[in-house]
Amino acid sequence: MGLVILGGNMMTQITKRNANKFLKDEYDELVKNHFEWNIRVLESGSKPHSIVNGKEVIMMCSNNYLNLSNHPRLVQGAIEAAKKYGAGSGSVRAIAGTLKIHTEVEKRLARFKRTESALIYQTGFAANSGLIPQLVGDGDIVISDELNHGSIIDGVRLTKADRAIFKHRDMGDLERVLKDADKKYRRILVITDGVFSMDGDIAPMDKIVKLANDFGAMTYVDDAHGEGVIGEDGRGIGAHFHIEGKIDVEMGTFSKAFGVVGGLIAGSQDLVNFAYNKSRTWLLSGSHPPAVSGAQLAAIDVLETEPEHVKRLWDNTKYFKKELNSLGFYTGESETPITPVIVGDSGKAKDLSNRLFDEGVFALPIVFPMVARDKARIRTMMNAGLTKNDLDFALNKFEKLGKELSII
Amino acid sequence: MSVKIGFLINPVAGMGGRVGLKGTDGVFEKAVQLGASPVTRQKAEEMLREFSVFSKNHHDILWVTCSGEMGGSVLEILGIKNIQIVYSPSSDITTAHDTKTACKTFLDHHLDLLLFCGGDGTARDIYTIVDKKIPLLGIPAGVKMHSGVFGINTKATAKMLFEFINKRLTVGDVEIMDLDEELYRNGEWKVRLFGVVRGIIEPTYIQVGKACFESVSDEEVKDELAEHIKDELEKHKDWLFLFCSGGTIDAIAKKLHIEHTLLGIDAVYQKQLVGRDLNEEQILSLLKKYPKAKIVLSPIGAQGFILGRGNLQLSPRVIKKIGINNIIVVATPSKLMHTPLLRVDTGDKTLDSLFAKQGYFMVIIGYRLSRVVKLQTNSF
Repeated sequence: MGLVILGGNMMTQITKRNANKFLKDEYDELVKNHFEWNIRVLESGSKPHSIVNGKEVIMMCSNNYLNLSNHPRLVQGAIEAAKKYGAGSGSVRAIAGTLKIHTEVEKRLARFKRTESALIYQTGFAANSGLIPQLVGDGDIVISDELNHGSIIDGVRLTKADRAIFKHRDMGDLERVLKDADKKYRRILVITDGVFSMDGDIAPMDKIVKLANDFGAMTYVDDAHGEGVIGEDGRGIGAHFHIEGKIDVEMGTFSKAFGVVGGLIAGSQDLVNFAYNKSRTWLLSGSHPPAVSGAQLAAIDVLETEPEHVKRLWDNTKYFKKELNSLGFYTGESETPITPVIVGDSGKAKDLSNRLFDEGVFALPIVFPMVARDKARIRTMMNAGLTKNDLDFALNKFEKLGKELSII
Repeated sequence: MSVKIGFLINPVAGMGGRVGLKGTDGVFEKAVQLGASPVTRQKAEEMLREFSVFSKNHHDILWVTCSGEMGGSVLEILGIKNIQIVYSPSSDITTAHDTKTACKTFLDHHLDLLLFCGGDGTARDIYTIVDKKIPLLGIPAGVKMHSGVFGINTKATAKMLFEFINKRLTVGDVEIMDLDEELYRNGEWKVRLFGVVRGIIEPTYIQVGKACFESVSDEEVKDELAEHIKDELEKHKDWLFLFCSGGTIDAIAKKLHIEHTLLGIDAVYQKQLVGRDLNEEQILSLLKKYPKAKIVLSPIGAQGFILGRGNLQLSPRVIKKIGINNIIVVATPSKLMHTPLLRVDTGDKTLDSLFAKQGYFMVIIGYRLSRVVKLQTNSF
């Protein structure tokens, strides 16, 4: 450290700060409180049977709902695009990084979603953080469902707009907030997750759109867990409620059921023109490598021509839920392949998750504060690539460990 | 992890209720004559039994308590061995004096928490000695329990103690409320705010990423609320602002460098104090000078009252003059978890019906962040 010498001709040496010490200190603190992330490494790809930390497990916590990550047409699409266009795109979209294949994806996507236009971002997170701050500012208000998770929150925090929260899926509450906001604000943006990732329940998008229209509010849905899962042919929440084109901003992702990566927004041409001119994440970050676009195109092809994947996802979901319930497990309000298995106590949930992993079933615990203290759970994500044998194997483990831990 | 918990039972509390008395302090003999029997001992035992179910893994707890019916005998019956007796009442019939003297002793023992069993009267007695020096948690056993220090029931209180010891709950401002005795003697039943103490609260969590939450201290949340109110003051430069009572408003005022009367209502104009600890008449006369005014208040006590229990100076006349649209309600998210409904009881049926018609408030819970909270009036 430094010395301060007083008196006479002083030579003072000021205490220098240690630039890097905080890195270790804060990490150690996390470890001490058991808050650090323990990363498990997949040695295989993300498959229904994956090798995780050297162990073969049934994968029940990935977002690869339709198992398209492993679909041969997607893999082939990626390879051919790379062969044709190269490994990278060379630039950001705005300057020299827009390849023809990027625009093809956007055209096909708009057709698939039945909207006027569509735009691709690098990731869903980039879509939300890039677009939301441009839609509202000082003098406007963002109205959110209290359980909105993930990147919506980050996007909203970047705005200068006021924020108001309504009770989860409560349309009476939403109406009250809208009535109040109507008198005070310039623009109103109503934002919600389409499928809520903790409980697997669905936002009443038809009612939300209707209420928003009554007040001239813009609607924005983050349909990350709905793409490829709900709606006819997996077209998403717009299709699920038969209101395609009526939601002002349908935001989604390619990284879940589509099996690739990438964020997307679908809506009017006006929306897209505005979005790509104003979203900082779109303008300032490198565009997708051709292989990604090739796989994205193939994913859309598959969904348009192979309905069996979505069907199998739902068949698996129904079977798994039914069997869990008959074993005595409570699966909450789930209406989608996200199936929480309610355990109650956080410690027990973590325990159950670890034991399940040891027995070859990979599913994560969700504990306080992400959910209420006494509602900790194992969140299982159903997958179209799982066979009935796989499901029975998993059910067997749930039953065994559930009894051992006195959950059932 | 060793924890020092003070433990105090008011053997007299709670006896008045069953026989129709408003509290038991000072009317112990009357209560007994009317057939009342001790209540707190049973509640304390219940709570400690529930607690022992939660804390099977044995925390290293030192129970600092009083002898006999004021605590020691209940701990003994439950087989709790790690006890230190620091006070012994001189008579079998204990009074507020015993509670207060015991508390004076507790102050010398560096307690992590003071767990007590009683009601508002007991809480008040404890507060007069302890103030904010030791966090308090009350096992609900009294006749009146408007104060924010109590668990909802014995089981909930046991859970709170357990979570607190395991550092999952934190400490924040809660209100000590009680019947205004002077008004009661004149036949009026009015609950007012007596003070603010530290109680056990749920921390506020903000989501900072996809699966990441950060807990925010009560202090930080109140900082945000203060920023918000600062903006309001700037937006409405020629309006009078009435800062009402309670810990939250007090914290906000302090951040704005405004001296605030914790238990009373102050008037602020252009960030300067223009009236302190005002009563109804004083408020009305200020409103003549400043016709445009806003009220800034926060739910206080155990039931989420914003008007009617405490803030009594905001009479129906005052509220009607200011207008219910000019009421700003602020609350920390953890306060709203404790009291998810707001309550209003102005005593004026027309005014209450206006509140009932509105049915809800947009409560400010952060900087430019609000949420819908349902409103309930007593008469509707």
